[in-house]
Amino acid sequence: MTTAVFAPSRLEARARLVLPGLLLVVLALLPTAGLTPNLIRLLFITFVWVTASLGWNLLGGFTGQVSFGFAVFYGLGAYTAALMIDRGVNPYLSFLGAALIPALASFFIGLPTFRLRGPYFAIATIGVSEATRVIMNNLAITGGASGFRIVEHRPFRQVDHYYTALAMAALAVAVSFLIQHSKFGMGLRAIKQDEEAAADLGVNPYAYKLAIHAVAAALTGMAGGVFARYAAFIYPQGVFSFQTSVYILLMPVIGGIGTVWGAVLGGVVFGMVEEQLVANFPQIHLLLYGSLLILIILAEPDGLAGLLGKLFRRLRTPR
Amino acid sequence: MTFVDFLNLLIAALLLAGIYAVMSVGMTVIYGVMKIVNLAHAGFMMMGAYFAYELYQRLHLDPILAALLAFPFFFLVGVAVHWLLVRWLPHSDRPTLQSLLLMFGLWLVLQNIGYLIWGNTDRSILSPRTLALVHLGPIIISSLRLVVFVAAAGCMAVLEIALSRTWFGRSVRALIQNRYAGRIVGVDDEKTARLTFGMGIAFAGVAGALLATLYSFDPDFGRPFLLRAFVIIVLGGLESVSGVALGALILALVETFSILFVPASYQPAISFALLVVVLVVLPGGIAGLWAKRRRLA
Amino acid sequence: MATPILEVEKLTKYFGGLAAVKDVSFAVPEQHIYGFIGPNGAGKTTLFNMIAGALEPSAGHIRSRGKDVTGHRPFSLVKSGIARTHQIVCPFRAMTVLENVQVAAHFGRKNITRTAAARDHARQVLAWVGLDHQADTLAANISLGDQKRLELARALATDPELLLCDEICGGLNPKETRAMLDLLERIRQNGTTIMYVEHDVKAIMAVCDHVMVLNYGQKLAEGKPEEIQNDPAVIEAYLGKAGSQKKGSRPVA
Repeated sequence: MTTAVFAPSRLEARARLVLPGLLLVVLALLPTAGLTPNLIRLLFITFVWVTASLGWNLLGGFTGQVSFGFAVFYGLGAYTAALMIDRGVNPYLSFLGAALIPALASFFIGLPTFRLRGPYFAIATIGVSEATRVIMNNLAITGGASGFRIVEHRPFRQVDHYYTALAMAALAVAVSFLIQHSKFGMGLRAIKQDEEAAADLGVNPYAYKLAIHAVAAALTGMAGGVFARYAAFIYPQGVFSFQTSVYILLMPVIGGIGTVWGAVLGGVVFGMVEEQLVANFPQIHLLLYGSLLILIILAEPDGLAGLLGKLFRRLRTPR
Repeated sequence: MTFVDFLNLLIAALLLAGIYAVMSVGMTVIYGVMKIVNLAHAGFMMMGAYFAYELYQRLHLDPILAALLAFPFFFLVGVAVHWLLVRWLPHSDRPTLQSLLLMFGLWLVLQNIGYLIWGNTDRSILSPRTLALVHLGPIIISSLRLVVFVAAAGCMAVLEIALSRTWFGRSVRALIQNRYAGRIVGVDDEKTARLTFGMGIAFAGVAGALLATLYSFDPDFGRPFLLRAFVIIVLGGLESVSGVALGALILALVETFSILFVPASYQPAISFALLVVVLVVLPGGIAGLWAKRRRLA
Repeated sequence: MATPILEVEKLTKYFGGLAAVKDVSFAVPEQHIYGFIGPNGAGKTTLFNMIAGALEPSAGHIRSRGKDVTGHRPFSLVKSGIARTHQIVCPFRAMTVLENVQVAAHFGRKNITRTAAARDHARQVLAWVGLDHQADTLAANISLGDQKRLELARALATDPELLLCDEICGGLNPKETRAMLDLLERIRQNGTTIMYVEHDVKAIMAVCDHVMVLNYGQKLAEGKPEEIQNDPAVIEAYLGKAGSQKKGSRPVA
């Protein structure tokens, strides 16, 4: 009986690997298919946003701790990579630094702020974000208000950016799924629903929040680092801005908070439309995001992924 | 620093505390009754600032009077927002993710509307009072700050009376203590929530309008003040108006005296630094300190 | 008698200036069902919350198998083999019944890392408490009786030596209560010691080996159920309320 129960689910698990694998292969082959440089660039930016979105989703979606402070990790990652590359470190090694430094910072941020529950944590992260931006803007090492230009000394191809970002996004998806289907993920889900009850069953909420905060910070920081190498110029008011935090939060919420594909979908939609939106409706793009957020919260809390899921189910069962 | 300098700073801090209290109390009542953390508070403060600005520019209304007019105006706005959006949220006795994100979305919308109407240039309200000073011997007080303080203190007094003497106040206090029991004894929680939300937004509007007489502003005006309001709430606890007043006083003192030690470019980070200190040293806020004292006694 | 599984020494809790629990001491022997009764506000739940780590005692000590666990947080108490159920059930509503128990299997004393193994353990516990037919239902969608059982199943899945049951029969009908008490008896026979708080005196007397009566935060009496039933002080303070009311002399604080 046990095998009867388990065999189909194992098959299902394999089937679940097929589609993402196929997607990865297609995306990896795309640059050879003669895409325009502009489209390649757009995909690159999308991968960066998808990674950050997945990072936020680990803390906000899986664990229920909404943070308005992820620009801190994005910015720290960007500057870590920038400073390392500028000093002649191998860029891929610098991306590792771009993950580690924000993860370290996440502890210093989490130790005091995770004493606060739910929405209080959320507001405190606005403070973290503000304080970090103020400090970074005043430090000489960041180039201050005039910014920092990254000079890369080794030769490389433009398409390297694309593959780096693709690999990173794939890593973020894999990490998210591994966590979701592990003991660690079960603990996070329990904390999201009822912290006290989780603690009564042996989960240490404080330690678990700190741990997932670090993983989320590492992914987001790496996204910042990969973006910084591509942009070749960064400044504190940009990468550390509140707007960056807002974008990183909006993606998973719009896409479908708490699910891996929701966060990916949010990142893709955002990456694809953000530039067009800013270019065509510079006056009202915040208004559009805000309204979309209100609409999703009141009408479809599971986001675009939830909406697609419902449509799909309706199509499968004709009546 | 001479003693007179010290007195001057002390008075400046006291005067600042008044406006800080008004700014925070709106968030406190909404949280107490509805368990909603109103991030849109920042947006309504910004709107309050422009409300006073427009009345002053177009109708040459005294900005302080404009601030008082903001109360009924933003009260109605708050009731409307509650009717349109907030009442559709799932009911909960705990703060929910949805309510937090809804208010955040509303903040984004308000901010964008601000940019659409007024652009991103800094505005300020310069009235004849702006630079006037009151001399009390060696002590110099900005008369504008004094007037703002009086207006703020008046608002707090009215709130205290409304909470302690009226039907509405009793309902609010009942729901803050125990929503479920309040409902059982016949408190109309929908109606109370609607009025509370209106009042919370009204206080945001008044606070914004008063702040606009002191500082320049743009559509992102509310954010640093939202943070300060939050620090005050954590400091003072959520239970009472007097807690908020105490928290406001502490933050105002720390900010005012920090100019002696901290470079101006780091000033925006002061309130957050205070928050971290409070969280690390006094996890229960000032209220927690009192509780500990009592236990030792 | 071997070392008691739990020793409580002069445990005290003040709320403001009021003592909710004052100088309560007792020892729970292994494999007993140790009951607590007392009028409303006698301090039963406060006492429980301190032992379960939800409240920090103002004074006194709690020892588990001789090891001092005073003031330990709930998640570390679980690792020392102390688990609890709540008077007001608090399932993870967006998880299935099985997943609820799986969390306990992962993070309890067994500390199971592999999800499949934790699932198997959770299934066994569910079958044992008779909830396996609901395994794949969302916890929000089962009846109150089943939610109480789920509460118990989660606590059991942490593999406790000592189980604290707070009003596990509250809100259940007589038939469900009977079944729940049978389940407690089976848990004890399986080697788990139980501390049991219940408002319903009959339920306590039916199942407990040893009973303590609390009144105004202090120990009024303790002993075997039949001794307690005949104790004049207990009758005065608790069982004989109606009698003392007639005389117009209800005990006052």
